Amino acid sequence: MSVTQTRTNATGPTASAKCWSCQAVATGAHFCAACGKIQALPAGADYFAFFGLPQKLTLDPAALEAQFHKLSWKLHPDNFVRASEFERNLSLERSSELNDAYRTLREPIARIEYLLLHLGLRKEGTTRQQAPPELLEEVFELNESLDELREARAEGGDTAALRERLAEAQQNFLQKLEDVDAELAAVAREWDAALDSGAGESQRSPLLARMNEILNRRSYIRNLVAGVQKELTEV
Amino acid sequence: MGRVVGIDLGTTFSLIAHMDPQTGAPKCIPGPYGSNLCPSVVSVDPDGKIIVGEPARERLLTQPDRTIYSVKRLMGRGVADVQDELKLFPFRIDPESRNVIRVRLGDKLFTPPEISAFILRELKSWAEKYFGEPVERAVITVPAYFNDAQRQATKDAGRLAGLEVLRLVNEPTAAALAYGLHKQKRGRVAVYDFGGGTFDISILKLISTDEGEIYQVLSTNGDTHLGGDDIDNAMMKVAREAIAREPLGKSHLPGEAVQQLRKELIRAKHELSGSDRTSVALSMAPAHIDLAIDRSGFEDLIRPIVARTMQPVKLALADAKLTPKEIDEVVLVGGSTRIPLVRKTVSDYFERPPHCELDPDEVVALGAAVQADILETGVKTMLLLDVTPLSLGMETMGGVVAKIIPRNSTIPASAQELFTTGVENQTGIDVHVLQGERELAKDCRSLARFQLRVPPGPAGLARIEVKFLIDANGILQVAARDLRSGQQHTIEVQPSYGLNDEEVERMLEESIEFAEQDFAERQMIEARTEADAILHATEKTLAEPRAAGIAASELSADERRAITESVAQLKAAVASTDYKLVRQRIDELNQATMRLAEIIMNSALQTALEGKRLEEV
Repeated sequence: MSVTQTRTNATGPTASAKCWSCQAVATGAHFCAACGKIQALPAGADYFAFFGLPQKLTLDPAALEAQFHKLSWKLHPDNFVRASEFERNLSLERSSELNDAYRTLREPIARIEYLLLHLGLRKEGTTRQQAPPELLEEVFELNESLDELREARAEGGDTAALRERLAEAQQNFLQKLEDVDAELAAVAREWDAALDSGAGESQRSPLLARMNEILNRRSYIRNLVAGVQKELTEV
Repeated sequence: MGRVVGIDLGTTFSLIAHMDPQTGAPKCIPGPYGSNLCPSVVSVDPDGKIIVGEPARERLLTQPDRTIYSVKRLMGRGVADVQDELKLFPFRIDPESRNVIRVRLGDKLFTPPEISAFILRELKSWAEKYFGEPVERAVITVPAYFNDAQRQATKDAGRLAGLEVLRLVNEPTAAALAYGLHKQKRGRVAVYDFGGGTFDISILKLISTDEGEIYQVLSTNGDTHLGGDDIDNAMMKVAREAIAREPLGKSHLPGEAVQQLRKELIRAKHELSGSDRTSVALSMAPAHIDLAIDRSGFEDLIRPIVARTMQPVKLALADAKLTPKEIDEVVLVGGSTRIPLVRKTVSDYFERPPHCELDPDEVVALGAAVQADILETGVKTMLLLDVTPLSLGMETMGGVVAKIIPRNSTIPASAQELFTTGVENQTGIDVHVLQGERELAKDCRSLARFQLRVPPGPAGLARIEVKFLIDANGILQVAARDLRSGQQHTIEVQPSYGLNDEEVERMLEESIEFAEQDFAERQMIEARTEADAILHATEKTLAEPRAAGIAASELSADERRAITESVAQLKAAVASTDYKLVRQRIDELNQATMRLAEIIMNSALQTALEGKRLEEV
């Protein structure tokens, strides 16, 4: 591992409105239209813009992959081994952004999370830990079963019946996860339609809020399922 | 700029290759013994001379305490990591060493990157001799599953050997590159790389685009401590148990006997790839052994080791979201894939015969040469997209790791984290960076710790953005920026394992001394050769009756004494290590014998001319 002191930064003040090499007006494109030199990342750009895409949540995976490969040919550090250190750093910055963007956009859920994060509606790593009201009863039952299993295991008792009950509960929650995903996809389609029709802020922001709420619920259920899985695999 | 070479710095053997401009195909460069394989063995003479490769391997038997093999196993590791290793390998680790291991060879201490640098320097000299020009830039391969510290150690070794390391390439990926050129494959490829000390599995997708071929690694997994060495160790254990049953067998085995036994067992292992039975007979006091080994007994012994390779295979496939049936091609790499049981295990699992057309020992070096060529001439027809094998994370509250770059992310990859203060007037924020898949920091590999220094102020006021970036070598770079001032933020990183910059600098200086020493040695050899020739000629001349007669009659007593003295002084100089002195004494002897040589020449000319008519001359 090494520390770098000279690197420019994605959102840094170093990203200027002019080409660093020929001073032509920068358009935010990967390369300067005038001199062809690789450009610094402009401030505030998002992963969608990096791929030249609108902020829509339905994407053709094959087209995205093809574009990823096309950009890889141009931006990869292998192309810049003999370039100046400055250009090598720009290539490193652009190609890492490309890979980060592709990794995020190719996964439907990660794509939605990113959009909300980018628009400031979601904070990274924060998930609400309260149970959604409609699940309260089932969560309470599940926790009880989990306690019983731990107890039975500590006392060396028979756990087969408990395990079966937990596995059933897990199935139930996995089904809920699928439902949540379907719900999320439906709102995502609404968002895309709103963008297509040029809908204003007042129509768009409730959609974002709904997606945020569904994502919180999703993350809660996922943690629940993972927790059960952990207990079930423990001997 | 000179050429870029590809180097496979292996546990057991190392190789150097280049792209042959005539054939357009990669080619290994042979060493002075005719083989392309340089045993990764280093030996240090009492006078400090470094011996590498085949001659060093011979010293494993004669001077085991001055000789080291399998040093790759120690790269980028701390003393606590290698305790298991030490039970099986006769490494002599300096008890003072902690996060960088120091190995004792004779009376000197060396770090693993320094020892690896000796191997790289040897390979570099092979290439320089082959090309007749200096070689300064290289692509070096590393096991795909190497962590940040192991990669950094490899890069340090390159630097210490006087090589600019343009790229570290993962070994299975390099193999795929070599195979791709060879066969123009398409689809999904699994590369099963079972070498001397490490095991890697990589799943790749080969894509044809308008621009050319893309080799995209989908996932990789492995075990940096699983290889042919483990098979050797299992055989050693059986053999030593057999010895222990002998009378006197319980007594301590001398290092020479252990090495001799290991050598014999490795020979037997190789033989069993081709034949059904072999035997090992060794008589070296107090050890005596006469073992008959058959293929099925050998397979029973190594089955658990081979089985250990299949867990990473399954994990890599799961990460690539593929089933074994969806793999179109399987490529075998590494010497251990010559073992029939390994081949059978792999072909049974993937339900298809694996490829092994290219020499499994050479294929990684050949692929490194392909990548070297890409970097030298620019991306034209092939592009390699590799991944980071391990997740990158940060320690958070309660010692839990928060993952910021997941494993199998295409590299370069990055993540940004925002840090702020939690209490008023806090002056520093501690950051602990880790690599690994486990939930708790204590179970992951610590990469580095650093502190972000902030001016005292209210809690939450400071805003420092840290950018973590894994470069195309799989090595982490960290940069921090103060968002409030927009200024670059200075951080002092203490690497958890490996050398810091000052240590590398100091070693670099020492390695230049080594290079000077190498130069002096070559000069000495040449001067000695010349001195021997002139001494031989002088003595031969003086022993000849006619010349001796001339010397006695034509030279003064002073002149005769000058010759005898010069001969004696040159002989004394040859016994020293000062090549400049030898050169000076050669000149002096030449001066002293000049008049004698002239007289003899003239007299020889006269003799030759006598009896010949003028017109014949």
